[in-house]
Amino acid sequence: MPDILWFIIRRLLATVLVMLALSLAVYLIFYAIPADPAHLACGKPCTPDRLEQARHFMQLDQSTIQQYLNFLKGIFAGRTFGEGAAAVHCNAPCFGYSFPLARPVTTLILDRLPVTASIAVGAAVLWLIIGVSLGVVAALNRGRPLDRLAVGVALIGVSTPSFLLGLLAILVFGFWLNMVPVNGYVPFSESPVDWAWHLVTPWLVLAVLQAASYIRLTRAQMLEELNLDHITTARAKGAGEARVVVTHGLRGALVPIVTLFGLDLGGLLGGAILTEKVFSMQGLGELLISAVGQLDVAVVVGVTLFSAFLIIVANLVVDIVHGALDPRVSHG
Amino acid sequence: MAEPVLEVHDLRVTFDTEGGLVPAVDGIDFSVAAGQTLAIVGESGSGKSVSSAAVMGILPSNAEVKGEVLLDGRELVGLPSDELRKIRGNDIALVFQDALSALNPYYTVGWQVAEAYRLHHDVSKKAAFQRAIELLDKVGIPDAARRAKSYPHEFSGGMRQRVVIAMALVNDPRVLIADEPTTALDVTVQAQIMQLLADVQEEFGTALVLISHDLGVVAEVADDVLVMYAGRAAERGTVRDLFHRAAHPYSLGLLGAMPRIDVPPRPRLTTIPGSPPSPGSIKTGCPFQPRCAYTERVGERCITERPELTPRPGEGDHEAACHLGRRPEAVV
Amino acid sequence: MSSSVAGAVSPTRQALHRVRRDRSARVGLGLVVALIVVAAASPLLVKLSGQDAFTYHIDLLDPARGNAPQGSFGGVSGEHWFGVEPLTGRDLFSIVVLGLRTSLTIAIVVTVVTTVIGTLLGITAAYVGGWFDAILSRLLDFLFGFPQLVFMIALGIIVPAKVPRTVLLIGVLSVFGWAGLARLIRAQARSLVTREFVEAARSVGSSGWWVITRELLPNLLGPVLVVATLSIPGYIGAEAALSFLGVGVPPPTPSLGRSISDSIAWVYTGTDPWFMVFPGIALFVAVLGFTLLGDGVRDAFDVRLRRTH
Ligand SMILES: Nc1ncnc2c1ncn2[C@@H]1O[C@H](COP(=O)(O)OP(=O)(O)O)[C@@H](O)[C@H]1O
Ligand code: SF4
Ligand SMILES: [Mg+2]
Repeated sequence: MPDILWFIIRRLLATVLVMLALSLAVYLIFYAIPADPAHLACGKPCTPDRLEQARHFMQLDQSTIQQYLNFLKGIFAGRTFGEGAAAVHCNAPCFGYSFPLARPVTTLILDRLPVTASIAVGAAVLWLIIGVSLGVVAALNRGRPLDRLAVGVALIGVSTPSFLLGLLAILVFGFWLNMVPVNGYVPFSESPVDWAWHLVTPWLVLAVLQAASYIRLTRAQMLEELNLDHITTARAKGAGEARVVVTHGLRGALVPIVTLFGLDLGGLLGGAILTEKVFSMQGLGELLISAVGQLDVAVVVGVTLFSAFLIIVANLVVDIVHGALDPRVSHG
Repeated sequence: MAEPVLEVHDLRVTFDTEGGLVPAVDGIDFSVAAGQTLAIVGESGSGKSVSSAAVMGILPSNAEVKGEVLLDGRELVGLPSDELRKIRGNDIALVFQDALSALNPYYTVGWQVAEAYRLHHDVSKKAAFQRAIELLDKVGIPDAARRAKSYPHEFSGGMRQRVVIAMALVNDPRVLIADEPTTALDVTVQAQIMQLLADVQEEFGTALVLISHDLGVVAEVADDVLVMYAGRAAERGTVRDLFHRAAHPYSLGLLGAMPRIDVPPRPRLTTIPGSPPSPGSIKTGCPFQPRCAYTERVGERCITERPELTPRPGEGDHEAACHLGRRPEAVV
Repeated sequence: MSSSVAGAVSPTRQALHRVRRDRSARVGLGLVVALIVVAAASPLLVKLSGQDAFTYHIDLLDPARGNAPQGSFGGVSGEHWFGVEPLTGRDLFSIVVLGLRTSLTIAIVVTVVTTVIGTLLGITAAYVGGWFDAILSRLLDFLFGFPQLVFMIALGIIVPAKVPRTVLLIGVLSVFGWAGLARLIRAQARSLVTREFVEAARSVGSSGWWVITRELLPNLLGPVLVVATLSIPGYIGAEAALSFLGVGVPPPTPSLGRSISDSIAWVYTGTDPWFMVFPGIALFVAVLGFTLLGDGVRDAFDVRLRRTH
């Protein structure tokens, strides 16, 4: 047990370091870009005086390093821009302040996260179920029509860009068959049924496409796994076929599947960009794209860092789960 | 002689492969009685493992099995898979050569032994685990209660083989098939494992089918011996028949060509020039002919007529499949 | 052990032989060859069709239907093989084949760049070890933590317009692309470095460069080739996605992703679904062909890719 604790602590420390490096890099890259956020905020007519005022207010008149330190400090202690009645507060954890939207970036992210999370988690559950079960079925029927079918479907799945399938799905199920809503998001708290109803198409589209890689991975892993000697042992013990396949076969195929799943889900939670655009949903990806369009650097930096954070956390979780799933890693 | 527990008659196994039909086992017979040991010897590729897998009914689906496998007189070939499942690991158990790959790396050894028990007994997991500890203790694993919670990779090779034996014995099988159980181990550990098998056999009256490369071991523990060559029986008899009046040139080759009663045979398998034919490649005549030092004495017949297993006159149940009538002498 | 050096060529040949025998790999190879020929000859094909990708043909549009093309199948005719673009009347065949060329050019250039960088750095890290390896490993962690698509979108708009978009696109895709290959090659090379023949070469005083190029590289050819082939469809998809989002190659350079994005309104209103069909199929076939080929190459070399991304 202490082994795994140490392992987690070491990984956590490494994670913090990578996050620091990431934030510095993102900060330097985006703030080195000539687009001046103050210019956009200063209003019209933008006299040099007002521009200077805006720069000061937004704390852009300080050195880049100072700005980065302010940013870091804001994460733990919050920040205040300006003084007195005009002051703008950004409470900890403050990941910057969007002057165009007049909201702290943290709030914006938290507002948009449920949309992205609804898309990502729902689709992830579906694709995991579809992908793994079809992959197992394909492996068990290796070379037979069922296997060919699954492999063919998977191939088409990995070859279809998600936005293309999304557009097709909207066209067919939304416009032609009139079965599902074509866009928009309804919060779960408002109406769980409408929430799910609006999400069905994006879920299915994402699930079908992502399932393709899981079919391929699961099939390959299962074929390898079912060839191992300990599978024969299980049969020789008198285990039934279902037990052989699931308890002994799938168990061994689990590690790579879980690894891929964690990384995919982590990546998607940071913004299902294409899906949100195709289905017109106001998630993190949409927040980012519109922020980019308005040169709202604070939001761009915030969302980028948040996505990076999720990916790193996903990596960490995957490594820990890997340790938990494979006794050869966790037990010496 | 005691009633045989396991009887095999004219067993044939054919694999349907991309390269055509492979007759890996081409009609063999053997039987073993309670408390007795039958040794099967032969170079690798001669069909020993395939024969034992056929008896267990755990061959892959591209294998076709013909002939009779009788357990206490009950025919196993063609039995519905559900019936067979109840026999596997319960009445007949298998000990594999490579214990590391035969054990599932993801489960504790206690769990794996307990699983074998639970598959044939309607008991709680806890009771089964208790039974597993008992067996692990019996096969000589020190501190079994604690070690039961360890994973296979945490054991030494010899200890792992003990675990596999415990797993095979947990249901008090009538027949134990040990497929080269000591090949992967070093010499002192080999002796310990063989002693363990002998003790178990004495205590439970298990019928043992021992597949081995080690003629020294065979000479020591076996009652009867079957010599296999290219999927067929070359010679069959008591251990005395084989070591003191071997009748087949192949057996002589294995024994190092010393067919003298008064001189103890060399314990190790000596190499015979040339290599065994791939199954089915020799269609007529004696499969050993290309490597046989005696074929010139017999002549034409070795190439045109397949020698069948025939009793040696005046030597009881001793049989050999060779056209050479009298006992061959060593060729120096 | 020295046989694995001497045999370095023959496994590759065996693998190529296996690719030729594998039916789906053959289909993939056929598709890839066809795609490359079409892309390479696209200016010629366009000329052959007597069109170009830029001339407006307003006369072929139907103002009553919001300037969708006249005629069936999006205005397919003897002159306009794939019909014309709605709103502008530009020749869709030219747009699609030139768009295909854009996609493949970017994907292949990125693949070459990332393969060279990833292989060299991966092998060097494994061979040199020490601080170089440590720094590279941290850099890889760093790159894997990056939300790539997010970052590419952000850069796409923020980088000044005077940097050509195609160059930016290739640069950004390459910066993130080499990491996966480097990690894999580093792992494989590390297991080779400890093998006898490498140690033997080292002990007789061979230079690092010699060991890397003569001993390690030939033995890693298989995995490198597999990863390179398999990454091409990924880059085709990434380019299309960025262009779809409006941060890829800028107009008027034809791009499949942008055409698909432009087609949305026409598809939804049902006025001209064909506007999506032709670029959509081209994109699908491009990804499919390279995926099939990549799968075939992987099976032929029997390379295991752990931690598949
Ligand atoms: N699944 C299989 N498919 C085709 N041929 C097989 C298969 N398993 C075993 N064989 C062939 O059967 C023959 C006997 O193998 P085996 O019983 O393992 O030999 P051994 O006597 O060394 O245990 C070998 O020639 C082998 O190639
Ligand atoms: S039959 Fe002929 S070839 Fe075969 S073992 Fe006897 S003597 Fe040798
Ligand atoms: Mg064997």
